[in-house]
Amino acid sequence: MSAHESEWTLRRLHAGELASPEATRASAHAASCDTCGAVLRGLESNQQGFEAAIPFERFEQEVQRALERRRAALKPSPRRWVATTVALAASVLLVVLARPLLNQGPGWDRSKGSADVAELRIGGGPGPQREVKPDAIEALEPGERVMLGYKAGTHRYVAAVSVDAIGEVTALHPESGVSTPVEPGADLHWLQGSWEFTGSGAERVVLVLGDEPFTVESLVEATQRAFAAANGEVERMSPLDVPGAQTHWMLFKP
Amino acid sequence: MGRCRYLLKDATKAEDAMHDVFARALIHADDFRADASPLTWLMKIATNHCLNQLRSERAGWRQWFERDAEARSEAHGGAGELETRDLVRRLLSRVDEETQAAVVHYHVDGMTLEEVAALLGRSVPTIRKRLERFAELGGEELRVR
Repeated sequence: MSAHESEWTLRRLHAGELASPEATRASAHAASCDTCGAVLRGLESNQQGFEAAIPFERFEQEVQRALERRRAALKPSPRRWVATTVALAASVLLVVLARPLLNQGPGWDRSKGSADVAELRIGGGPGPQREVKPDAIEALEPGERVMLGYKAGTHRYVAAVSVDAIGEVTALHPESGVSTPVEPGADLHWLQGSWEFTGSGAERVVLVLGDEPFTVESLVEATQRAFAAANGEVERMSPLDVPGAQTHWMLFKP
Repeated sequence: MGRCRYLLKDATKAEDAMHDVFARALIHADDFRADASPLTWLMKIATNHCLNQLRSERAGWRQWFERDAEARSEAHGGAGELETRDLVRRLLSRVDEETQAAVVHYHVDGMTLEEVAALLGRSVPTIRKRLERFAELGGEELRVR
């Protein structure tokens, strides 16, 4: 076993986050050990270099921008849908009436609860409002937003996530906690709000209907596992390892 | 920032990634346990973020080799340490995602086996096994101690 402190311990010491007894011990060791002292001095030098290269104001401003970008990707904006509410209502009616005639179209869950319907609809942008089929990749126009709808059949809980080309998973509905109970009735129900996906490239949206409540965290983790199993290729992801029925859509951001 | 530079080997991308990492940390602040190490938590987010970014750039791994020379001056530590970090970087693309994270935390951050295991939520033997498998790709220099 090495007589030196681990580099990670020295990093934590330098960051000031070691608890008192450990910090005292590590400091005392570093003061009398050339090797560990050199590592600490190197960390201090790196810190000074970093602060000189990137002033705090710039850092703060850029983090704020990144934060706004991420929040914009998550934030529902129902007002943008006001103008299309009537059209949506009409489409819901159309779906409800037409579904029995479609005989297991792509939006239908085939694994369990055959009365399940999941639908992803794009609107709010310059292009026409449209439904996305689960087996196709749909290009998004700038400013377009996505709505998710379902008819639960025998399932009782619903949640939705999305994952982008770099494996960033976003909880769409709900944003945290546990899957929400499904709305009763035979109508197609729309999840509250709509989403605009920022950035560019592929984005996979997944809606899950379950018999039991499940945590959003478990769904996010299952999505991360599927992304990793697909070797980071969001287009090639397999179904998530979660109970219940799931529907996937692939979007391509401008 | 050091983590992002080490993995992305591009100063601009690294700085953007660093901002994204802090934004993610702020958004997911509720997930942070009060008794945990903020540095460790941030480093985990940064490592995952950059490894994901590399995977998403189809040519990312190939570009690493082109950027290798530029990045040499970005690292710190003695010559031996530099060589090990370069070797680790060259071999990372050959292993799975979890091994990549374990390898970076162990060989680059200087975490102990126990610290890596705690960070990744795995047992010490599991982490040791993954690191030993990685070491088989690179020889004695990557031996797990």
